[in-house]
Amino acid sequence: MKALGKIVAIHSYKGGTGKTLLSINLAVTLAKHGKTVCLLDLDFRAPSLATLLHVDKVEYWLNDYLNGVCEIDKVLIDLSERIGNQGKFFVGLANPSVEAIRDMSSKDRKWEMRALGRLLSLRNSLLNDKGFDYIVFDTSPGLQYSSINAIVSADFVIVASTLDNSDVEGTRRMLRDLYDLFEKKTEIVLNKILYDDSLRSGKEKLQALVKDTYEVPLLGVIPCFCDISRAEGKIIFVHEKPEHPFTRILDEIAAKIDKM
Amino acid sequence: MSNQETLGKKPLQILEKIRENLEKLNEKMEIMIELQKHGRRDLPTIPQEAPLDVMTLLSMPDHLRKTAMTVCRLGRATADEVAQQTRRARAVESAYLNQLVIMGYLKKERKGRKAYFYVDKESQG
Repeated sequence: MKALGKIVAIHSYKGGTGKTLLSINLAVTLAKHGKTVCLLDLDFRAPSLATLLHVDKVEYWLNDYLNGVCEIDKVLIDLSERIGNQGKFFVGLANPSVEAIRDMSSKDRKWEMRALGRLLSLRNSLLNDKGFDYIVFDTSPGLQYSSINAIVSADFVIVASTLDNSDVEGTRRMLRDLYDLFEKKTEIVLNKILYDDSLRSGKEKLQALVKDTYEVPLLGVIPCFCDISRAEGKIIFVHEKPEHPFTRILDEIAAKIDKM
Repeated sequence: MSNQETLGKKPLQILEKIRENLEKLNEKMEIMIELQKHGRRDLPTIPQEAPLDVMTLLSMPDHLRKTAMTVCRLGRATADEVAQQTRRARAVESAYLNQLVIMGYLKKERKGRKAYFYVDKESQG
């Protein structure tokens, strides 16, 4: 019997920690490992996947699915050929128009409750019925409805954090006051770590720091790569730069997740 | 059908009815015990139907959150099915589920011997 797939949410306390970069590249890495992957943009406040993945014609957005206007298969766009058809890579996009952002930020509690129900039912429609191996949720930072809905619906949450003091302290509090309550399996990815020769030996130190501060395991460490800034979000990094250290780190992270 | 057969069925039906009533009584007592245990006489007056959204889940006491989240995940479940997920006793889950019904977060529907609990997403607003 086929093993059931997993829902992975990528979240952070603060903005700019690299959630979207991590989401796209993790989803593509998993697909390149032969998996059937679906990446969903749940950052309705600042949608970015439509722009980053250069998708122009969108008939139905994830907003429509959550509004109960259509089913999820109408929303999914097959981008497998963009990554050389190694695996299957689908995306569901958030509507980036100002009107849609305004609409999504003015929903009431009843709507959010139904949205949670629709996110939870993706397990049946995508993982069980359509045989997807992974659903990856890219979320908004901090504590807001769409993100917490995503966290509650996920099997596993990756929290991206930098070593910035306010980020560390906020992330620590969020893990204790939010994640603990939902008893969610969570691991940390440290991003934008200053790369120097000591990184290799310093990894154990970072591991201890994460364990002491956040009390959850460290999934990966991503150094601060100028090449990523230079790419200006115009390419799918792991696809275009297969030999880059960033790609190797994402390979390791994907392999770890696959073993869970 | 012979008279004997009809006579034979009646006591069974009566026993079944008694058993059902006892089960209902048992559930009510479980709720009362639970309410007393947590000193919930001062339960805030919550409207008959209250949305079970994530912020509500967050503000719930731990023991109820676990039960409510399990129903959210399963969609529709009996106390038995919830107990299997939470690894707590069926009677405990039954009490918590009924408490969530009283608070307006869950709906309950009887089908034969089984009672199903679910989040009512349709009738609200």
